[in-house]
Amino acid sequence: MIVLWLALVVVAVAVRYPDTFRAANQTARANAALDLLDRKVGGGNSVIPDQEVLFEALGRIPANETFAVVVGEPQEGWTDLTATYAETFLRYFLLPRRIDPKARWILCFACDPSAFPAVRVDWEGENGIAILRRQP
Amino acid sequence: MSPGAVGGLFALNLGYAVMGTAFVWAVRGAPCWSDIARLCGLGYLVGVAAFGVVWTELLVLGVPFGGVQVAATLVLGTALGAAAGIWRGTALPRRTSGASSGTTTSLLVTAVGVALVGLLFEAFFRSARLQSVQAFDAWAFWIPKAKAIYFFGGLDEQIFTVSAGPTYPPLLPILDAAAFHAMGSADVVTLHLQFWFLVLGSTAAVAGCLARHVPAWALWPSLLLVLTVPRFGEELMAPQADVLVDLFFVVGVLLLALWLRDGRHWRLCPVTLLLAGAALTKREGLLFAGVALVVAFATAWPERRRAWPPLAAVTALVVVAAVPWRLWYRSHGIGGEAPSDVGGSGSADRAWDALRLSVDVLFDSSLWSVLPFALVLSLAFAFAWGSRRQAVFLGAVAALVLFGGAWVTYSYNDLAVTADEALNPIVRYTGSLALLAAVAMPLLLCPRPKERSS
Repeated sequence: MIVLWLALVVVAVAVRYPDTFRAANQTARANAALDLLDRKVGGGNSVIPDQEVLFEALGRIPANETFAVVVGEPQEGWTDLTATYAETFLRYFLLPRRIDPKARWILCFACDPSAFPAVRVDWEGENGIAILRRQP
Repeated sequence: MSPGAVGGLFALNLGYAVMGTAFVWAVRGAPCWSDIARLCGLGYLVGVAAFGVVWTELLVLGVPFGGVQVAATLVLGTALGAAAGIWRGTALPRRTSGASSGTTTSLLVTAVGVALVGLLFEAFFRSARLQSVQAFDAWAFWIPKAKAIYFFGGLDEQIFTVSAGPTYPPLLPILDAAAFHAMGSADVVTLHLQFWFLVLGSTAAVAGCLARHVPAWALWPSLLLVLTVPRFGEELMAPQADVLVDLFFVVGVLLLALWLRDGRHWRLCPVTLLLAGAALTKREGLLFAGVALVVAFATAWPERRRAWPPLAAVTALVVVAAVPWRLWYRSHGIGGEAPSDVGGSGSADRAWDALRLSVDVLFDSSLWSVLPFALVLSLAFAFAWGSRRQAVFLGAVAALVLFGGAWVTYSYNDLAVTADEALNPIVRYTGSLALLAAVAMPLLLCPRPKERSS
């Protein structure tokens, strides 16, 4: 029985080892080929339709401030995950900036800016995405 | 992604290894430096568990977490381990080992095994080094919690109560936050290397603990098979808690199996830390710790007067370690982690479907290759010709973990009875059985208990 076990395991390792090694090499090559932004956004590429909003938000919202996320009707170019998970991803990506519904900064995903008194559009991208700032 | 960040991570993990090895030396002793080298993997994992458990309790108490505190913990932990060893009169390691290093064949198998595992880890290092965060659970709650500890120095109420999985314990985010401090920034790409260190250290722990107890031909093929099954490979480095909880549990079970074999009580000290670590890493960690301890109690029945008191102490300490975090989240208005239907009113059909799903996933060769079949074969061998006691212990642990997976599917009504990972965690859960196989198979294939005293 030990011989049977050893044969089974050694054959399986002989088959699997090169595949595992090759897969790790392919992943290493694919990761190295990514640009810095894609690598930093990672899974967010399947949530946020416009990568630019992430880096604009990082640059514009000071690290000690808060932001709100307001999501309207899904737009063309959005993924299935955008409306549901945009806020979750932004909470992760923009930390230490915290989420606060009353924040000065609003990340607007096809929202209605007129719903917020005294805001101005600070940055506007595609697919209905914008960064709004409440005026003091 | 800078060399400095990688160097910082290396220093942090070296710190875990030194602290944990000092602890292992204090409780076990190490007659020569080759023992230290052999047990440094176990020391590493014990250091990681101790650091995580201690800081979970400290964060619950409101102690701020920062880079200075991380370094101070490692220095203080090492000093405490060394002081305990000196107080117990543990001898310092000698330069050379008097024990024979094995036959030529076993040395050759070990050399080939080390080379193949080393080559694999080199490839894993390259694939993890520039990996982006893709897994949903990682960016939805594990890493946000880690960033919150890193940026705000504690269990930030907003992030810890609003994020998904609010009852999940904070041990992994604490390790991630320590890694961020070591790297000098919240570098979520290089963070994958922390998981590479964890898997490497655990592999060294298993190999080091088993090296003197099982033949090399059983040890290295088992390790290589587990590392190369389709489901694992690079998946082991995903920045989530699934693998870490399995590693704590599996090495804890290994030490319990060796303790049942040779009765050396020092093994229960690392078991306590590892099972406490598991209970503070993921919710199923409590289930795993419970399974390991209950089966150990049952297996130790013949010598219960000698074995049960220390096991009871281990159980009490694991419970004491697990409670404060549960008190913290309950005091913050978060519901319990118990399932929606603990098992009373669910339908028999759902119970049967859940059990069938667990078995189907375990024997899915596209996930685990021939690993479950090899495990069954080694169990059959042990029952027929090997150590029946080991077979009963390891077989019962594996069976209860399997039933535990079925119970999770059955009792959480919102989980669909499917292997789709977006809808049911059963595939990730079954990883614990696959990793358990790595330590169980060599022990089961050992014809009779053998302890070469070091």
